[in-house]
Amino acid sequence: MWQRVLNWLADVGVLFVKEWRSELRTRYALNTLLLFALTTLVAVGVALGPLGTSESARTSVLPVVFWLILLFAASAGLPRAFVHEEESGTATALRLAATPSSLFVSKVIYSFTLLLGLEIVVTPLYLAMMELSIEDGGALIAALLLGGLGLAAGSTLIAAIIAQAQGRGMLFSVLAFPILMPLLLLAIALTRAAVSGDGGTTWATEILLYDATVMVAGLMLFPVVWNP
Amino acid sequence: MGLPARLPHGVGARPAVFGIITDMATEGLRQAHSRVGLTLRWLLWGLGCLVIWGAFRYAPLAADFIGQSSRILFFHVPMAWTGFVAFIVAGVWSLLYLMRGRRPEQDRAAAAAVELGLLFSILATATGAMWARIMWGTYWNWDPRETSVVLAVIFYAAYLALRSAVPDPATRARLSAVYAILGLAVAPFLFFVLPRIAGFTLHPEPVVNPQGKIEMNARMLQVLLAGSFLFTMLFFWLHRIQRRIAALGATRTGGSKSW
Repeated sequence: MWQRVLNWLADVGVLFVKEWRSELRTRYALNTLLLFALTTLVAVGVALGPLGTSESARTSVLPVVFWLILLFAASAGLPRAFVHEEESGTATALRLAATPSSLFVSKVIYSFTLLLGLEIVVTPLYLAMMELSIEDGGALIAALLLGGLGLAAGSTLIAAIIAQAQGRGMLFSVLAFPILMPLLLLAIALTRAAVSGDGGTTWATEILLYDATVMVAGLMLFPVVWNP
Repeated sequence: MGLPARLPHGVGARPAVFGIITDMATEGLRQAHSRVGLTLRWLLWGLGCLVIWGAFRYAPLAADFIGQSSRILFFHVPMAWTGFVAFIVAGVWSLLYLMRGRRPEQDRAAAAAVELGLLFSILATATGAMWARIMWGTYWNWDPRETSVVLAVIFYAAYLALRSAVPDPATRARLSAVYAILGLAVAPFLFFVLPRIAGFTLHPEPVVNPQGKIEMNARMLQVLLAGSFLFTMLFFWLHRIQRRIAALGATRTGGSKSW
């Protein structure tokens, strides 16, 4: 029993390292995510910067814009996760070599680390550019971690679905947004709580519930998507 | 053997008399079945007339509502409810498709439920918007239930977009079933979390509210329940027709109809 769990964890580790190795060779997702986020950040900064926008408007609007930036950056970079495997013909080898569950978990962790990297760059820049002060730092970190995990889990399953369909780039946003919408609204609510400084805990629990739901659904549904 | 691929009835391996008997039996069953179906359709029609009469003549007007506007309740609520039923039906058929045999008709049933769910949700949204214009002054104000119905519509449309993007029938059925079940898994967040995010609702209290009290005039409640039953039955009838149309399309074109 324990041996099987350890083997599974080792599989996840190997696949995770493989994801990052092939990512660092092309840096496709990294470049897309970062450049997309930075360009939108500049556009938002010019339009909604500290000068010219009232304080009350900024505390309610800025968390929304922040999560929209993250969502659109994710939907620009993450859909490639499985499309890439199908295009380069490595999907068949993966189907033979790895169990679906270990592959799904490693892809989710890879997307999660990618998003965390993005958040580490974007969040301080955003807070500094917008002069947005945070009352409850823990709530912000929880929003970034849990929101990133939910984004990663949801978009990994959707990416696996679109890899077998036509018109992939367009289809990802169409399919992912209805699924990610509750997460987005919850993450915005939690970030607003971080700005205002009260009531973060309940939102964090609900995001955690969402993440758990999508992870469990993903683990159960991914084998069906992956094996034709 | 040299037999033609399609044989006329009663010709071929089985004795002719036996063929005639089975043909008579199936024909009799078919006629009895269609008679039951016809009766049910007339009953549905009668109930429909009864609900319309009840909504405009039998049920009283609710207090604090402008003019006759409260009568929309008897059509708007059942439509929203049916949109919700369609959601569940699509999810159940998708689950059945994945777990019980992967038969094309199960996939067609899920797709038909989504098409009808889209129709009923749009109808509920439209009637709700017209009523909101009268009662609340605007067509739209992001009340949590308005948000959730709009997200349901987007989800249904995305499901149909996914179906039209996959040419192979088996792959299409598999992927859309997964997507429908994922939607069903996320749906509770729309229904339970959205009202808390908005922090308000303009909608009247649900008929069966958390306290378990039914706060409604008895006549209004009767018409509302009859209307909900009517629309649910209407949904299942339309669903059956849609499934038969889809099955015919599949036999004619070899299953290439996308949705």
